[in-house]
Amino acid sequence: MELTFKVNGHPERLELEGHETLLDVLRDDLNLTGTKEGCREGECGACTVLVNGRAVDSCIYAAMAAQDMEIETVEGLATSDGLNSLQNAFAESGGVQCGFCTPGFLMMLTALLDKYPHPDRVQVRDALSGNICRCTGYAQIEEAVERCIRQRTIE
Amino acid sequence: MLERFISVSSEEEALAQLNAHGEELQILAGGTDLMVQLQQSGQRTRRLLHIEKIPGLQKISYNGETGIGALCTHRQIVESTLLAHYRSLRQAAAQVGGWQTQMVGTLGGNICNASPAADTLPPLLVHDARITLVSQARGSRVVDLEKFLLGRRHTDRHHDELVSGITLSQPPERGSDIYIKVGRRSATEVAIVGLAACVALDEHRRLIEDVRLAVCSVGPVPKRLYEIENLIKGQEISDSLLDEAGEMLLELIEPIDDVRASKKYRAMVAPRVLREAITCCAQNASG
Repeated sequence: MELTFKVNGHPERLELEGHETLLDVLRDDLNLTGTKEGCREGECGACTVLVNGRAVDSCIYAAMAAQDMEIETVEGLATSDGLNSLQNAFAESGGVQCGFCTPGFLMMLTALLDKYPHPDRVQVRDALSGNICRCTGYAQIEEAVERCIRQRTIE
Repeated sequence: MLERFISVSSEEEALAQLNAHGEELQILAGGTDLMVQLQQSGQRTRRLLHIEKIPGLQKISYNGETGIGALCTHRQIVESTLLAHYRSLRQAAAQVGGWQTQMVGTLGGNICNASPAADTLPPLLVHDARITLVSQARGSRVVDLEKFLLGRRHTDRHHDELVSGITLSQPPERGSDIYIKVGRRSATEVAIVGLAACVALDEHRRLIEDVRLAVCSVGPVPKRLYEIENLIKGQEISDSLLDEAGEMLLELIEPIDDVRASKKYRAMVAPRVLREAITCCAQNASG
C-alpha cells in the first residue's frame, strides 16, 4: 500500500505492507537515522518525532497512520545558518553527553515550546517525563531549556 | 489482495467495515498499546482498521451529563476544563505513560485494551461510567463499564461494534475524588497498585454519605469495591474503620507476583493507599 506524507518539508511516497512503524520507515526507508531506536515500546522517548506538531513515540506509531501528515525529525531542526537556538542551548549547557537520547529530547521540547513558549520548570519536567537520559544529564537539559527561552526572548 | 491497513474518516465508514469484516479486523486508535503488542507477538498479518481520524469521536461535551468521545486522548482529558470535577480521571490520564503516549493514546483504547493495570479504569468505575457501542446492524447500546469488562484483556464488545463514547455520572455534592498510583518511578510506569476513590460527606460534613472505590493492578480486571463502600457508608471516618476497610480489601483483591512487584508488597501497600485515598477525599470534601 502507498504512504504519502511530508518529512521535514519534503514530499515522500513509499510502498509499505501496512504494519510498519513510523520509526522503521524513517530510519530504514528514508535513511533518517537521527531518530533513535531505544526501548521499542514507547517508554524511553528516544524515537520522538513530531506528527502534525504532536510529539509521538515513532516506535509505536503506525507509519500508515501518518498518511498525508507532516513529520518533523531532528534532521529538520538545523537551518542553512547552522543549529537552531534549542540545539545551541543544549551544546552550551552541556545537555548532550553520549547523545543517544538527544534527538528525542529536542523533538519533545520543540513541541513543548511551540505550545508553551515560556514553560515553568514543573511543565518542563512534566513534558520530559517520557524521555529517559541514562547519562544523568537532566539538570543540564533543564538548564538548556531555560537558556533557549532566554535566547528566544532576546531575539 | 486485502489491504492490511484500512483508514476510515467517519463513524459510518468504520461501522460498514466492521459489519463486513469485523471478525478479522483489529481496531487501531492511537496504537500506544496495540503497536507494542503487534510487534512483540509478530502478528504482522492482522488487518488493522485505523479509526484515529474520525473527528466526531474526539470531543468532550456536557449536555446534562458529561460525555467523552472514545477517541479523546489522555492529554485532552488532562487539559479539559469540562472535566474539572472529575479530578481522579484527569490524575489517571496524566499518569498514562509520558506525554508522547498521552498525546496519542485514547480513552476508548485504554478501555477496550482492558489491561489489568489500565490507569483510567478505576476513576471511570467510581464515576459509574457507561460505554456506548454502535453497530451498523443493531444500532447502539449502552453498557455499564463494570459489565463491559469481562476479564483480562477481554471485553463485551462484539466484532461488529465500535465504542463511540463514555458517559459519566454527575459528581456528588460535597464530594471529592482522587486517583492514587503506586509505581517505582513517577513517569512511564505501569501501576503496581492503582486506586480511585470518590467520597461525599453529609450536610454536616461529618458522616460519609456516599463513597465509591475501585482498584487496578491487583487482579485480572479493574473493579469496584462494593463491600468496603457498604462498610463505610453512613459512618464517620476513624482509624478503626479504616483498619477494617484495609483488612476487607485484602479479602477482595487477588494480587500476584510479577516483574513490577511482589504479591506481598502489593498486599502491604494496597490498604495504605486505600486509607490515604479515603482520608484525602474526606478532607477535601470537608473544606
